[in-house]
Amino acid sequence: MSGDALPRMANVTVIKTFDIHCGLFAFTMVALTILYISARLYQQAFGFSMGLDANSPEFDRYWMTLFRIELPVLYGAGVLCWSYLFLTRDRSIETVTPETELRRYFYLTMWLVVYSFCIFWTGSFFADGDGVWHQTTLRDTPLTPSHIILFYATIPIYLFFGVGSFVYAMTRIPAFCRGVSLMHAIAVVGPFLILPNLGFNEWGHAYWLTEEIFSHPLHWGFVVLGWCALALAGVLMQIVERFRELIPLVFKQDAAGSPTDANPFRDAWEKCGPEAQRQRYKPTSVSGRRPISGKSK
Amino acid sequence: MTSTADIDAAASPRENTRFKDKKGETVISVSGLTPGAARYSRLFDVLVVAAVVTIFGGAIHLHVMLTVGDWDMYVDWKDRQYWPLVMPVSMIMFPAALQAIFWVNFRLPIGATVGATALLIATWIGRYANWWIWTGFPFTEGVPSQALAGALLMDMTLIVLRNSLFTSIIGGFAFGFVFWPSNYSALAPFYLPVEHQGMVASLADMIGYTFPRSNMPEYLRIIERGTLRTFGSSVSWVSAAFAGFICIFMHQLWWRLGLFASQATFLKNSDVVKSFMGIKSSVAS
Amino acid sequence: MLLKLIKFAAVCVAFIAGVSHAAAHGERAQEPYLRTRTVQFYDVHFSKTEVKVNERFELTGKFRLMQDWPDAVTPPDIVFVSSISPGPTIARIETYLNGWPARQSFARLELGRDYEFRMVLEGRTPGSSHIHPSISIKGSGPLVGPGQWVNISGEAHSFAFPIKTMTGLQIEDLQTFGLAHAVGWHLAWLAVAAAWLSFWLARPLILPRWLVLQKGREDLLISLRDTGAGIIVSAIVLVMVFGGYVRASAEYPYNVPLQSGLNRVAPLPASPAYAEIKVISATYDVPGRSMRLATQITNKGSEPLSIGELTTANIRFLNQSLPVAMANVDPSYPRDLIARTGLKLSSDTPINPGETREVRVEATDAVWELERLVSFLTDVDSKFGGLLLLYAPNGERVIAEMGGPIVPVFTELK
Repeated sequence: MSGDALPRMANVTVIKTFDIHCGLFAFTMVALTILYISARLYQQAFGFSMGLDANSPEFDRYWMTLFRIELPVLYGAGVLCWSYLFLTRDRSIETVTPETELRRYFYLTMWLVVYSFCIFWTGSFFADGDGVWHQTTLRDTPLTPSHIILFYATIPIYLFFGVGSFVYAMTRIPAFCRGVSLMHAIAVVGPFLILPNLGFNEWGHAYWLTEEIFSHPLHWGFVVLGWCALALAGVLMQIVERFRELIPLVFKQDAAGSPTDANPFRDAWEKCGPEAQRQRYKPTSVSGRRPISGKSK
Repeated sequence: MTSTADIDAAASPRENTRFKDKKGETVISVSGLTPGAARYSRLFDVLVVAAVVTIFGGAIHLHVMLTVGDWDMYVDWKDRQYWPLVMPVSMIMFPAALQAIFWVNFRLPIGATVGATALLIATWIGRYANWWIWTGFPFTEGVPSQALAGALLMDMTLIVLRNSLFTSIIGGFAFGFVFWPSNYSALAPFYLPVEHQGMVASLADMIGYTFPRSNMPEYLRIIERGTLRTFGSSVSWVSAAFAGFICIFMHQLWWRLGLFASQATFLKNSDVVKSFMGIKSSVAS
Repeated sequence: MLLKLIKFAAVCVAFIAGVSHAAAHGERAQEPYLRTRTVQFYDVHFSKTEVKVNERFELTGKFRLMQDWPDAVTPPDIVFVSSISPGPTIARIETYLNGWPARQSFARLELGRDYEFRMVLEGRTPGSSHIHPSISIKGSGPLVGPGQWVNISGEAHSFAFPIKTMTGLQIEDLQTFGLAHAVGWHLAWLAVAAAWLSFWLARPLILPRWLVLQKGREDLLISLRDTGAGIIVSAIVLVMVFGGYVRASAEYPYNVPLQSGLNRVAPLPASPAYAEIKVISATYDVPGRSMRLATQITNKGSEPLSIGELTTANIRFLNQSLPVAMANVDPSYPRDLIARTGLKLSSDTPINPGETREVRVEATDAVWELERLVSFLTDVDSKFGGLLLLYAPNGERVIAEMGGPIVPVFTELK
């Protein structure tokens, strides 16, 4: 799946093709959608009928059983996946071909899309469900039909993909191995910290907040950690900056070989030399900020 | 050796590109992407859009739910004092950051609209799947607020003025200020008066009362208790103006947070970790 | 259609799994002191337990706010009379506290006094619903009364809640009125947003724009035409915002703000303190599931008094040898909250006026465990509370508070 194909492509003069396999990505998205909808259907079936009283035997059978299964399975799957990614790491990451590296950037992007998808189900769909569940019961124990899905199923699922994306990048993409992407770390660690923040939440509810006000400062820990989603912008910038360097290498046959691809600007740009290029490479921010570039290069 | 003027000249005259680059050929051409690369760049666009819509649908909804969610979840919290104030102040945060990310890096004046659209869609999905299908609360009880009017105005301010400070002052203010009128238009029927048990109630009060919420007693509502009938009783406009004022600062603060978040910073990695991937420390340094 | 599919799938899953229903709403997770020393419900009555959709029934009863109010619980300064149900399976028509409308909350109820509530409810969602009366106290949350199953029959879609506004508008159904209007506006805003977003998303996006920007050609990315489009969209938005507002104001000129504020209500007249109870010692036999109290009861009235019932946290221990006490049990009262073994007394003869007598009271039942009322080992405030109901020969009932420290006993008592 690497850049082995590069030499064979050398004589091609038409638009270059470049294999990116989307099968696993599509499968994951479909599987996750089915998983989330199934979880929601389970809530629909057994939320009211079995889940109103955490002290009842039926709660133990229908909800605590799920709780006991999902925790080891989901975290176990995560650990397995991260270990697999690490064990199958690229052991000579610096000699990776541009084509393979570019492909891996695309796969990293797909990891992040799946991660984002999971954040949607957690932060919006099931969190909203938690909001409505609180209207049907008194403050029960920390384990409710809503919390058992929201906190103990959907959070490990997004951790699977968040941490997975981080391990993938570090073990396969040179820039993400040479340096630690600050924003990638924030985007993964922030939502991860929502899990330990549950301790604060339940502590507050156990001791002094018996009524459910959603906007209560007790909940703001989740909010601040949710802000870390913004940090994916930094990862995006890291990806596009590297794309700028990789794409001309990967698609150079395209540029050289296609007579129809007249591009006077590019020709002029390439001819003008570094000094003139630097002059045109000017600050672009409305706030006067210079364009940001990777500092580890 | 060509000069920078030649580059500009080669990139076809500005007068032409301004009006004729409908399909973006000039942008692609100037970007230096070959047709093949452009195809993959489009795939990348699709992935980025998918990520942006889902992650910000989730993150903004969570943010709004846990900062001002009560005002958004229940029709009988939508008062004149707090609702027009706290909602836009919370709702502007992510859209302002997204504006900065999309504008500064890509010159796309869509950040605020993207954020507000993702929020509204995510909210309605939740209302439908959870509030209605799961627990059976009528939609009228949980009809949400929208920030699209303000978000659109904020993006428009940005594209016209192209300046973050003025976007904060004008667009940010507009975001806060139009929240009340744009939502009142949608929710006005819920404030019709009814008589119930010999007392006046609005329909919104009645909806909240009629369909009981076990863990949301009436007194939990943080709603208007004001006494001063200012500006000919138009108290909502005072709240709207105050919201606009706060949104100015919120916008600038979150704009900067958006800039901070789009830093492509790499920190130095540990030599041990690098060695696992075959990078020798001497090479790395 | 989607709704039907999801509901169908849920029903199938539930059917396969053989679902029965839970009868509590999380109140068992509340600490014992919260449930035994705050609000004591009595005389709770469900007018019907079988209703059709849109059929009304009444839930009535009284409660005593205990004098020995726990420190950990906020005093009843702001109180709301409510009901607990699994979602809005019932509709609330009217509620009263001591005859006062109870749509809003009440300020400053008095400790040691009694209040009477009445709720008029209506069946909404078909099925079996477990309904409790509840008294919500700001800072402490809902404190629930005894729950009863109410079977609601009929079709869910036939439920409607008509109401007439003060402007003369007859509303067919409160569940749907105004919804189309609100959704229409949201769709209109989404349409404008979608138009604006497609205007940009149709172009080359992330990488090309960034590269072009790096080359200093912002002019290629934002043209005059785009700025013009922005100005046009601004104009459309402003017309929608202010035009919509003016139109809504003209259409609904008599709108009112949300109604808030607290009501004040006087408690029921205090019953004469005919009986005074002092708890000398109290133990809870953990293995035997038995609460044993040594009490000193003084009859300060003019009629002899017989001990009829001990009630706490909605659980009732009845003196089964006293017919008037047994007659006081409402047929609608949930059977699982009435202890089978009843109340055992060391002395069953009436206490004469002026007499002070030591009586040992024993309340034994597994319901202590089931209701999780005996977690004294983990409780920071190991006290109990309850009401003792005493009866005069003429049927007059005297309600007396009792309570005090309680000591758990973990070994079997001889």
